[in-house]
Amino acid sequence: MATPQMLSSLKYSDSLTVVGISFCTAIICESISWLLIYRTNSYKTLKSSIDKASKKLETMKIENPAKISTKKSKTKKIDRVETSLKESSRDLSLFKFKSGAVVALVLFVVFGLLNSLFEGKVVAKLPFKPFGIVMKMSHRGLQGDDATDCSMAFLYFLCSISIRTNLQKFLGFSPPRGAAAGGGLFPMPDPKTN
Amino acid sequence: MKEGKTVKFNLHSHQQQQQHANGGHLSPFKFAKLLDPDASWDKDQLGDVLHWIRQVVALVCGLLWGSIPLVGGIWIVIFLLISSAIIYGYYAMVLKIDEEDFGGHGALLQEGLFASTTLFLLVWILVYSLAHF
Repeated sequence: MATPQMLSSLKYSDSLTVVGISFCTAIICESISWLLIYRTNSYKTLKSSIDKASKKLETMKIENPAKISTKKSKTKKIDRVETSLKESSRDLSLFKFKSGAVVALVLFVVFGLLNSLFEGKVVAKLPFKPFGIVMKMSHRGLQGDDATDCSMAFLYFLCSISIRTNLQKFLGFSPPRGAAAGGGLFPMPDPKTN
Repeated sequence: MKEGKTVKFNLHSHQQQQQHANGGHLSPFKFAKLLDPDASWDKDQLGDVLHWIRQVVALVCGLLWGSIPLVGGIWIVIFLLISSAIIYGYYAMVLKIDEEDFGGHGALLQEGLFASTTLFLLVWILVYSLAHF
C-alpha cells in the first residue's frame, strides 16, 4: 500500500507514532481504571452521593441566599451537607489514589519506552517559539539551539492531557463536578468549624 | 435587576444518575436543545456541552492554523480569545443563561479550557509539522 510509504517519507512522521502510542496508552489506562475503580460499587455509591449532595447544596443555597435574616437551623443544614460533600469527595480521592498507582506505573513504563525510542530525535516542529518551562520540556534531550525543535516529551505531554481528558469525558469517567468543589484529598480547613 | 433564566434543578436525580451511569455521551440528549433559549439546563449538562464546543473549536483552529500556516505565539492568544468569545456568545446570547446560577462567568468559561488548549496545540503542531516539512 502507498499509505505507509507516504507516511514514512514525511520528515516528522515520528510524531504520528507518538500520538498513536499515546492514544493506545490512554485506552489501556482507562480500561485499567474501569476495572479497578469505575465498575466497583464503592465508586458508584460515592459518585452518586457526591452528585446528590452537590445538587442539594446548590438548591439550598439558591433558596437561602446569604442574608443576615437566614435562620440558624438552615445555615446548620447547609453546613452539614457541605461537610458530607467534603467527606465523600475526600473518600473518592483516596479511593482513586490507591487504584491510580497502577495507571501511574503504566504511564511511567510507556514514557520510558518512548524515551528510549525517540531520545535526541526531533519529532515535530513548533509553529511558535516557546520559553521558560515549556522550552525546557519541548527541547528536552535535543541538540542545537533551534527553539522550534520539538522533543517527544512535550508532544507526549500534549497527547496525554488532551486525549485522556477527552476520552474520560466521552466514556463518562470524569470526576463529578461537586467533588472538585468539595476539596479532594487535601481539603482546606472549614473556618466555620474552627 | 438582571433578566436571566432561573435554573430548574432536577431534585429527582434518578434520571440523571442513569444517564451518568450509562456514560455522559449516551444520555438521551436532543440536539434541538442546544439552540433553544427556553430550555432548562442542568449544571453538568451545560458544562459538558461547553466542554465539547471548546474541543471542536480547538480542533478546527488547530487544523486551520496548521494548514495556512499561521506561525507565532500570538496565535495561541488569538485562539484563546476566539474560543472564549464563542463560549461566552453561546451561553449568554444563544442560550440566554443567567451565569450566576452556574457559578459565574469564570466557572463557565473555564469548562474544558485546559484540555482544549492542549488539543489545539497538538493539532496545530502536528498539521504544521506534517504539511509543511
